Amino acid sequence: MKKVLKFMPSIVFLIFIYGMAILFFVLPKDEYSSSEKRYLKQFPEFNSDTFFSGDFGEEFETYLSDHTPYRTFWVGLNSYYNLALGNPLSNGIYHCDNGYLVNDPPEYDRLYTNIDVIAQFAQKTDVPVTMLLAPSTGYIVSDVLPNKEIVYHDDERFEDINKTLTDSGVTFVDIRKEFKDAYASGTQVYYKTDHHWTTHGAYLAYCELADSLDFTALTKDNYNISAYSDFYGTAYSSSGFWMTEPDSIEVWESKNIAQDSITVEITEGSNTDSFDSMFFEERLKEDDKYPVFLDGNHSYTTITNKALKEQGNDKKLLILKDSFAHALTPFLADHYSEIVMVDMRYYKQSITQLMNNKDFDHVLFLYSIDNLGTDTDLAWISMN
Amino acid sequence: MVFSSVLFLFFYLTAVLAIYYAIPFKLRNLFLFIANLAFYGWGEPVFVLLMLFSTVVDYTCGYFIDKYRTRNKRIAKTFLLLSICINLGLLGFFKYAGFISDTLNAIPFLSDILSIPPIEVPLPIGISFYTFQTMSYSIDVYRNDAPIQKNIISFGTYVSLFPQLIAGPIVRYKDVAYQIDHRKETLDNFTNGVKLFCVGLGKKVLIANQMGLMWDLIRESGEVNGWLGSWIGIIGYSFQIYFDFSGYSDMARGLGNMFGFEFLKNFDYPYISKSITEFWRRWHITLGTWFREYVYIPLGGNRVGPMRQTLNLLIVWFLTGFWHGAAYNFILWGLFYGILLIIEKLILKKWLDKLPAAIQHIYTLFFVILGWVLFFFSDMSQLSDYIVNMFSFTGPVIGETALTTTLSYLPLIIIAGIASTPLMFKLYNKVSNTGVKIALDTVYCMAIMTLCTASLVNQSYNPFLYFKF
Repeated sequence: MKKVLKFMPSIVFLIFIYGMAILFFVLPKDEYSSSEKRYLKQFPEFNSDTFFSGDFGEEFETYLSDHTPYRTFWVGLNSYYNLALGNPLSNGIYHCDNGYLVNDPPEYDRLYTNIDVIAQFAQKTDVPVTMLLAPSTGYIVSDVLPNKEIVYHDDERFEDINKTLTDSGVTFVDIRKEFKDAYASGTQVYYKTDHHWTTHGAYLAYCELADSLDFTALTKDNYNISAYSDFYGTAYSSSGFWMTEPDSIEVWESKNIAQDSITVEITEGSNTDSFDSMFFEERLKEDDKYPVFLDGNHSYTTITNKALKEQGNDKKLLILKDSFAHALTPFLADHYSEIVMVDMRYYKQSITQLMNNKDFDHVLFLYSIDNLGTDTDLAWISMN
Repeated sequence: MVFSSVLFLFFYLTAVLAIYYAIPFKLRNLFLFIANLAFYGWGEPVFVLLMLFSTVVDYTCGYFIDKYRTRNKRIAKTFLLLSICINLGLLGFFKYAGFISDTLNAIPFLSDILSIPPIEVPLPIGISFYTFQTMSYSIDVYRNDAPIQKNIISFGTYVSLFPQLIAGPIVRYKDVAYQIDHRKETLDNFTNGVKLFCVGLGKKVLIANQMGLMWDLIRESGEVNGWLGSWIGIIGYSFQIYFDFSGYSDMARGLGNMFGFEFLKNFDYPYISKSITEFWRRWHITLGTWFREYVYIPLGGNRVGPMRQTLNLLIVWFLTGFWHGAAYNFILWGLFYGILLIIEKLILKKWLDKLPAAIQHIYTLFFVILGWVLFFFSDMSQLSDYIVNMFSFTGPVIGETALTTTLSYLPLIIIAGIASTPLMFKLYNKVSNTGVKIALDTVYCMAIMTLCTASLVNQSYNPFLYFKF
């Protein structure tokens, strides 16, 4: 027995490597990874070309890595091991107090370019332009960050942006204080496991827009609020911190909008689909439930409020936006008979033409600073 | 293929071990030869031809060197030169052609006359290592330091031996000549191999890769890192390069053990050295040995006058630097050490020995760390910027990114520091109870394999956040 014991390191080593190899062949292979939201590599094509170029070898390696047995377990183990070693950053996400998972501050190398694009756009048009920028989560929830040396420089940036935009005639709606105060008084304005603002956060932003867009914001008691639990957002799936508690996501439905008054038309390419609600309940079955609002990202979406039109309100709003707009736009449907939402990352047609065709009363730019700071597609709005 | 990958650990190694131990000893070298080629050709199948060419050329040269060594010295010498020229030719073409053409083109008049087109040749992995190994064979046979290998399969197995193919250690033929045909695989040896492999894997994946991430974050932060931030960054790189390289060497030796081979140690805690001379006795030992044996001693070594000796040292260190890469900074790095070693040898050594140990350590580490700056930056302006940052004491002490990064990696920096000394190994050797020792070994191997798998799998975890915002 003693003799065998001596070889224990070899025994565990061999059990481990052969165990992993056998499990690889025995376990069924997933085609899709829901936490990564991508299709996993399939067995690569083998022929003399792919072989001799070395492509087969390379792709085969990706295939093996993508299908390593218990892959998500290993990813989680790695994140928590590093956390235990004092490194709270995992795949760009900080593990924070109170169950918050927060994006690390990205390099905002496109921020001022994009602000200039917006300023120039405003100077060229007669339609009033408003901009609302969602501050970074880390800036708002700074008290839960893993150490106090991590700083989000939203203050300096918002000041600079405010100045540039105001000089060009854009109304800049600054929600920093409102969000900080709401957070300090216990309102959750950002999700803990996702980078978006909560519906409550979006509602606060909506209220701040009232002055500039010239409407009277509805009070909270005008909404039927329903909450859905087990929301695991993108920060959760990126980080590998699988033991984090899920969020709950709220849908606020205005009591002032009649049952069949709303029509949502979503255009992708030459295809347009029509829906009668801004809330897509089947999306609540997924782990990432944020697409419940307006079905997630689409290049061109129109929301018409028929009842409002019949009452003689024919105000039209153009929103140029990222996905933060999805939670906020439903609030605006109470005040505009027609809202057009355009996502410049996917929309490749002329904005000038769109403005000429539709007689918009107002243009709203709605972005999060994290996205505006890195976005390379907004510049398309200056193309004819 | 690299050792620290899912492909190698769970597929290549399992398959090769299973077949290797299932077949009779007579066939093992042949099988190992094929397995080596599969390992080598995985990413670039065409380079297998290069390996076969090298094998055939050196086998043939060795055969004729041996045949004429006593009968006709001149013919033997001709074949020796042929072997050296072909090996250096391969290395020169694949590794240095681009660099040489760029250099010549940069000389104003010459570039007009010669009009050399810019040359871009893909670098076959491990070529610096295996050409040096095959040269050692021809030279050892010529010097009658090693017996000739008559079996081309056995010879091919030596040339292409996968454990040390990519990053050494550089195994001289005379050190393994006997093992190739007469090695004995034992369970004791195998278990030692497993332990050594796990040590190396842990060094590479758990320390070197992490230190590399820290170095990248600090270097690329795009802000002023401050002098302290710059020093911490390059210290991170110093740990990365040591744990990466020595980890790879440990894995190679461990794998060698698993197949019955015994390779020489390549690193011996270099960062505890008290002088630059000592550092180079502890860092990449097999390369130093190679240059001493096949360049420095043939040039006259220590048996010549001080002027000639100085020149010899400069030649050797120029070549050592250039061997590491085809760029000016590597030459600079080599000469930097050449000059330091000459100064130590001629002047400093006497004084240094009398100083307190702490000062000797600080002196050595200061120059070694400074050396890594030269080693890292192939762009001369980035290089000088970085050095200026390290010694600009007027601005901020440490930048924001550098500070947050350092805080995140601090525990690992401390672990890396301790693991650079023999402290843990000494403590381990204090354990006298064999049972406890086995338990420690087993838990250690298990933990390393588990954590390394987690880390390797995480590298392939790419959340597709195209629609992130």
